[in-house]
Amino acid sequence: MHEQSTTHFRDKLPIVALSALELTLSSTAGAVEILRGIDVEIGPGEQVALVGASGAGKSSMMMIIGGLERASAGSVVVAGLDLTGMSEDELALFRRNNVGIVFQSFHLIPTMTALENVAVPLEFAGHADAFALAAAELAAVGLGHRTGHYPGQLSGGEQQRVALARAFVTEPRLLLADEPTGNLDGDTGGQIIDLMFRLSERKGTTLLLITHDPALASRCARELRIADGRIVGDVTRLVTPR
Amino acid sequence: MTLAAGTRLPYLLTWRLARRELRGGLRSRFRGFRIFLSCLVLGTAAIAAVGSISSSIGAGLSADARVLLGGDLELRIHHRPATPEQREWLASSGRLSEIVGLRAMAGRTDGKDRRLIELKAVDDAYPLVGTVALRGGRPLADALASRDGEHGLVAAEALLKRLDVSVGDRVTVGDAVFRITGVLIGEPDRATRGIQLGPRVMLSRAALDATQLLKPGALSEYAYRILLPPGTESGDFRDRLTRAFPDAPWRVRDPTEAAPGLTRFIERLTLFLTLVGLSALLIGGIGVGNAVRAFLTQRRPTIATLKCLGAPSGLVLRIYLTQIVLLAALGIAAGLALGALSPLAAAPLLADLLPVGMRAGIYPQPLALAAIFGVLTTLVFSLGPLMLARDVPAAALFRQAVAPARRRLRARDVAVTGTLVMALAVLTVLTAGDRLLATWFVGGAMAAFAAFRVVAFGVTRLAAWWPHPRHPQIRLALANLHRPGAPTTSVVLSLGMGITVLVAITMIERNLGARIAEIVEEQAPAFFFIDIQPQQTADFDALVRSFPGAGAVRQVPMLRGRITAMAGVSVSDIQPPPHHAWVTRGDRGLTWTRTPPESGSRIVEGEWWPADYDGPPLISFDAEAAKAFGLAIGDEVTFNILGRQFVATIANLRRIDWASLGMNFVVIFSPGALEKAPQISIATVQIGRESEDALEAAVNSQFPNISAIRVRDVVADVNRIMGSIDIAAKAIAAVAIVAGILVLSGAIAAGRRQRIYDAVVLKTLGATRRNVLTAYLVEFTLLGLVTAAIAAAAGSLAAWAVTTGLMHVDWTFTPGAMIWTTLVSVGATLFFGAIGAWRALGRTASPLLRNE
Repeated sequence: MHEQSTTHFRDKLPIVALSALELTLSSTAGAVEILRGIDVEIGPGEQVALVGASGAGKSSMMMIIGGLERASAGSVVVAGLDLTGMSEDELALFRRNNVGIVFQSFHLIPTMTALENVAVPLEFAGHADAFALAAAELAAVGLGHRTGHYPGQLSGGEQQRVALARAFVTEPRLLLADEPTGNLDGDTGGQIIDLMFRLSERKGTTLLLITHDPALASRCARELRIADGRIVGDVTRLVTPR
Repeated sequence: MTLAAGTRLPYLLTWRLARRELRGGLRSRFRGFRIFLSCLVLGTAAIAAVGSISSSIGAGLSADARVLLGGDLELRIHHRPATPEQREWLASSGRLSEIVGLRAMAGRTDGKDRRLIELKAVDDAYPLVGTVALRGGRPLADALASRDGEHGLVAAEALLKRLDVSVGDRVTVGDAVFRITGVLIGEPDRATRGIQLGPRVMLSRAALDATQLLKPGALSEYAYRILLPPGTESGDFRDRLTRAFPDAPWRVRDPTEAAPGLTRFIERLTLFLTLVGLSALLIGGIGVGNAVRAFLTQRRPTIATLKCLGAPSGLVLRIYLTQIVLLAALGIAAGLALGALSPLAAAPLLADLLPVGMRAGIYPQPLALAAIFGVLTTLVFSLGPLMLARDVPAAALFRQAVAPARRRLRARDVAVTGTLVMALAVLTVLTAGDRLLATWFVGGAMAAFAAFRVVAFGVTRLAAWWPHPRHPQIRLALANLHRPGAPTTSVVLSLGMGITVLVAITMIERNLGARIAEIVEEQAPAFFFIDIQPQQTADFDALVRSFPGAGAVRQVPMLRGRITAMAGVSVSDIQPPPHHAWVTRGDRGLTWTRTPPESGSRIVEGEWWPADYDGPPLISFDAEAAKAFGLAIGDEVTFNILGRQFVATIANLRRIDWASLGMNFVVIFSPGALEKAPQISIATVQIGRESEDALEAAVNSQFPNISAIRVRDVVADVNRIMGSIDIAAKAIAAVAIVAGILVLSGAIAAGRRQRIYDAVVLKTLGATRRNVLTAYLVEFTLLGLVTAAIAAAAGSLAAWAVTTGLMHVDWTFTPGAMIWTTLVSVGATLFFGAIGAWRALGRTASPLLRNE
């Protein structure tokens, strides 16, 4: 629905291009090297699982791609934009226009109804029909009848559907999902994952998914394995569409 | 795509998002805002109430100004009437009324009792405006008329009570006997005289001559009131008056100066109470800041989420600023409503103390001022937390522990907050009648804030640095003082500021009270005797000195005159310094002596003249007044005394202790100049309380024209007024204390979750409830003691500065006030600490541990 003019680049340029990426954080115990030279490219429409042990650097890598964290060294180009020199507010704009994020703990805004939660990013972008689009997106995730409910009145699965609707409503080019089923039971989690893959395929969204679950990882065509701040595996497999 | 273009989001969006957060949130999420709202309500209500009540009094004064003045214009002359030529000119200019005021004694006809009265002799035209109210509604002219050779007299109820007489009885005034024909209940122009030393008595101008009181030099005052013909501007009339009689000794006033003394008094009291109210608001501001900080800490996940979804920091700041401002507006509006209604509540309480009726109503100006103070205070105290919240990173959702919240403000934020602080300070000073006092207040408040911040920081660092005590309770107490999120700073600031205000006001009041008591008991004479005629001075002296129990007797000649020029410059061309304007305003009492006064003043510069001096007139001048007017030894001062010009040279300067309540004169003449002028003497006599009545009776029976003023009665009146001021000051100070207690209890309550968790863990590990309670009590005792000690010192310093610097009263340290406030302080912290601990200890362990 937006940035049609850039569509022809999608086939040629990677949506994510990390090069010699490093991240060092200072803590009370001294500097901690989180990421130590990551080189990765992710193409448009790819579905990529990011796997690895706790503390390997998965979340940090995702945060840098989402403009939530600044790299200590190296280059970060996402959706054709170089994130390294951007200010906080430019990064916020970059996310608004290009990135959707789904969290393990949903992170819905408790004071807003489901509809308002989904509409917020559209409102930020200045869409006049934010609420109509949000209602349509909620209907698409099966919550057309619960638009007026607050997060506290929804089940965990429903909350994550709202979060998915919120992430997809701006039709982002890149969806980042951090353990999206970590707080859900098996059945509900399965439904959410199905929904997420369906939406990403339908909208042609690039998907980067952090997970500990090998079964979930195997649904992605590409699996990046990270250990001790380095990419130690990059496997591409054939995936049967469900 | 240009990224920057999208940052200008419409304000409508800000409002929409802020409203969503507020919606339904007031019930639960904004619970912490109860203290926020209470603080703002209290502070703005105090300031709005002081301003509204003051405006109501001011409106009453100006609405009744013509009535209070008694006409369109008033001319006053001391000791003598206007000349026939002047009278004729005045009478031709409009309707004229002449009244004479003096102090005299009224007595029972059986001679058993006599009392000092404020006598007012009025002509047939009086009052030109307004009406004199007599009990029963009898007209004044009828009551004062002479019947069967006997003059009528009306008096205030107080005189009838004191002399134990009633309407229809006879009383003596001077040499005449009067029949009491009415009880005076309303006098339209009663606010225009200064201190009233006795009950008001009114008689006719013709009857006054019968009393024989108007002897030469008697302390009388002639007032001429004029009603100008319609269409005559009082300014034009004043100009014509000055041209016609350029050297006339009168003082002219128009309705804008109807009650200058009262107006000045109300202005000063208003400022004082406003500053105390502002202290309450500032203390409340700490509570405002705490509530905002707690609220925003709780909203961190939402802020981070908004940022993840693409909200720029400016939008985040605006969303939460909008909410805070809306809530503040609620509190401020409630405070303004209370303040606006306060004149209605105060009117019946102040009715007896004020000579005019208050005009209760809505006064926008003081309300607007209170609102601006409220908004600025809210912003000053909440912008810091808001700016820190604006900088909450989106990454906070992922990594709370590794990337802790930003704790320091950006330089630009500090500048913005600093600008608002300056705005608050400038507004305080610019809206104050006495800018010097307001500036001192602003400086003091800033210094106190800074001092208590330093103290809080010091306590925290000291607790962290202190070697771990072996006693686990004390260890826990120390840890509670410095752990992250400890309420130490809030408690020290709120309690410290509150106690400082309380100590300062208590000490100022004690010092003034102690000084007055000391003067009355040790130094002040028991009596002033006035209107002693020259031929009576020797007999009077003999009578008083021979009286059993009489101590020091001082008798000095006195006449009145006014200064017309200083060092060759006409007084009309001199802009008088504010605190010494009275020196050149109208007539002053003057005296002459051969030897320096024995008490009440000392020479600080120059030499006293020889006892047998007989040269050109010399004067001794008040050193402080001389400094204020830029006068030095050798300068010439010109006086108008009873219509004659005297030029005298300053020979020496005296430092005068005005508070000694003795006979003190700004100007003392050398012998030779004034002996021939008509004059009376005044005397002070010290005598034990038990002999006062007898002395007064003896003087009265021998010298009916001499009036006795009992200093004790005057001081009692002054004390009564001081008592009322003290109640007002305490009431506003109480608001400051309540604000402090609110903030204190809020700060302690904010750490409740942490305390409950601590208590549960400690109990799980085998600590008894007593162990935990002891730790908490040690913590709050330490905090209370340290804060109280610093606050007592700060309060004493403020009280010392006000007492010696502004009131020019000797300072005595009153440890009682300090000990008392220290106990209150420690008691308050212990009380609220104990409530917190009690709640924490009441919790059972299992649910909390499961949840964790």
